[in-house]
Amino acid sequence: MKIENTKAQMRKGVLEFCILSVLKDEDAYVAEILGTLKDAKLLVVEGTIYPLLTRLKNAGLLNYRWEESTSGPPRKYYGLTETGKLFLKELNTTWSELQNAVNLVTNQKKQH
Amino acid sequence: MNKTVNINLAGTFFHIDEDAYLKLQRYLDAIKRSFTDSQGRSEIIADIEARIAELFNERVQNDKQVIRIKEVDEVISIMGQPEDYMVDDEIFEDEPQPSYQRKSTASRKLFRDTDNSYIGGVSSGLGHYFGIDTIWIRLAWILLIFGMGTGFLLYILLWILVPEAKTTAEKIMMTGEPVNISNIEKKIKDGFETVSGTVSDVAKNVTDSVSGAAKNVSDAAKKVDFQKQGNKMKSSSKNFFDTLAEIIMFFFKVIAKFIGIFLILVGAFALIALIIGWFSFGVADIVHIPGMDFVNIAIAGNSPVWLASLLAFFAIGIPFFFLFYLGLKILINNLKSIGNIAKFTLLGLWLFSIIGLVVIGLREASEHAFNERVIEKQELFITANDTLEIKMEENDLLRNRYRHDSFKVVNNENGVPTIFSSDIDIIVKSTTDSLATISIEKSADGRNYDKAIARAKNINFNYTLKGNTLQLNSHLSTNAKNKFSDQEIVVVLNLSEGSVVKFSNNTRRYLNHSIASNYVNHYLNVVEDGIECNDCEDDEFDIDVDIPNIKIDENGIEIKADKSSLKINDKGINAESEEVKVKIDSDGINIKSDN
Repeated sequence: MKIENTKAQMRKGVLEFCILSVLKDEDAYVAEILGTLKDAKLLVVEGTIYPLLTRLKNAGLLNYRWEESTSGPPRKYYGLTETGKLFLKELNTTWSELQNAVNLVTNQKKQH
Repeated sequence: MNKTVNINLAGTFFHIDEDAYLKLQRYLDAIKRSFTDSQGRSEIIADIEARIAELFNERVQNDKQVIRIKEVDEVISIMGQPEDYMVDDEIFEDEPQPSYQRKSTASRKLFRDTDNSYIGGVSSGLGHYFGIDTIWIRLAWILLIFGMGTGFLLYILLWILVPEAKTTAEKIMMTGEPVNISNIEKKIKDGFETVSGTVSDVAKNVTDSVSGAAKNVSDAAKKVDFQKQGNKMKSSSKNFFDTLAEIIMFFFKVIAKFIGIFLILVGAFALIALIIGWFSFGVADIVHIPGMDFVNIAIAGNSPVWLASLLAFFAIGIPFFFLFYLGLKILINNLKSIGNIAKFTLLGLWLFSIIGLVVIGLREASEHAFNERVIEKQELFITANDTLEIKMEENDLLRNRYRHDSFKVVNNENGVPTIFSSDIDIIVKSTTDSLATISIEKSADGRNYDKAIARAKNINFNYTLKGNTLQLNSHLSTNAKNKFSDQEIVVVLNLSEGSVVKFSNNTRRYLNHSIASNYVNHYLNVVEDGIECNDCEDDEFDIDVDIPNIKIDENGIEIKADKSSLKINDKGINAESEEVKVKIDSDGINIKSDN
């Protein structure tokens, strides 16, 4: 078992949740999403995000529109659909539960 | 100085160095391969290209700046290696498992490894397949070749049948590794390395041989030389066998073409013959060419002729058509398929025709299920003890018109089509009764008893007695409506013992069962258990062979060869050859030899 694989799996698991969270308040184009995620060190390389975006879009959680840009070709702006919003809400609950659970377990271990 | 390429990446124009361009292209191709269509490949690639264009834009200050390999490397390190694009599908259980997952567990497949081959790459392919070092397989081949040469045949067979590993994916499958991006990349890199390795080897070799100073360097050169020698040998043996293989394949192709031409000819001729045959048949059926009524009448079950012939046409024609098609396919490599619908329609039609023919056949057969006979018995008023002469009387309608046919369909005096058949037997029986009688047994086939009887009754057969001459019709006749259903007449003559009978010459062919043919035209005595002939000679000499060098007739046997001969006749036996003569005759045996 490689530590890199486990790490990557952990990151990928929450990545979708994070993408949806970035788009929670306002629409964004890919570079913006990437910027946020990279600042948070959730992403090492950018390539990972593209299949995820397409997958979320195909699942009906995201939609996109084209917007003209001042510096180059039109950009794809992604936004949450209604389903996406519900999905995100549920994920939020799950995440906080998970966080608590993980905290509990890891802290317990520390006490030993 | 570098050559540059102009590219359009997601709608933006870039100058890019050629090597950088190639690298970028390889990279994009590798990414493309890591997605399936169901994952939305084209959309993902478009997004990625757009992002790469953006990243390039950030790095280009003005329009004249060229993108070099450095920029491409930077972008690749930002975007990540192809593996990074792969999403763990186990997380998304509602998605169908993409196919690369299955491939990763796929077992290795048998290919010919032409990269490491001496002849056809069969051995190294087998080595990969069984996971053993190739040298053992090669040794096994050598052993097998000494064992009755089976190895040789087997090798040729495998060479022909096992495909060559051409693509990178096949080469990976051959070794049993899962086919994924990193393996493909690795394989391609390996390929580059072997090429660059040989290039550097050559360079090294050249510099070494030029300098040749330091001893350890020359040692290395020797090593390289040795390796190179091996490689050279390998490649020359490969070249030789490649050419041989090409020649063999060429001959195979020529033979295949001949088979193709043959099949086309057979198929085409059969089809043309069938079509002509069927047309003349069908036309005859509609237009009623008199002679063709024959067929109509022969079919007793009232099945329409056109249907039967159409079915036969399909039943025979369709297989020939496929033969023809096969020939074409062999001859023309990229022949357009006739399509599955056409194929299955033809197959269905063929089966239907076969079934139809079987049904018609069964109906025909059932027409002959019953064979019934009616017997008409009458007295023959002939002068006692006088000779009864029996003659056949040819019907006027048949006389001169045909040679003696056993079966004909002719319009009779009233213009009604009538079947004439000479299926008549004459049998003589002796009776102690002083009164002679003739009984005419008419028999015919039918689907049931009544039909058979009706058909038998419908047979016309007459005789006349003039004085002591009994004239029998040479043919039975019946209306063509009754169809041909094995109508048969047996004439039984019950003659009193002691009377004399004479069959005239034209009765010969009607006397199959009872009277020997050499009794014809002789006065025959009716005795207790049949007939007796007083003045008949023995059977005439029937055999009369007269072909060059062999003669067999009433005189004897004569066989001649170049320098020898054999004669057997009344005088004796006479055998002659170049060196010896043997004569057996009334004088005794005489053997003469030249020596």
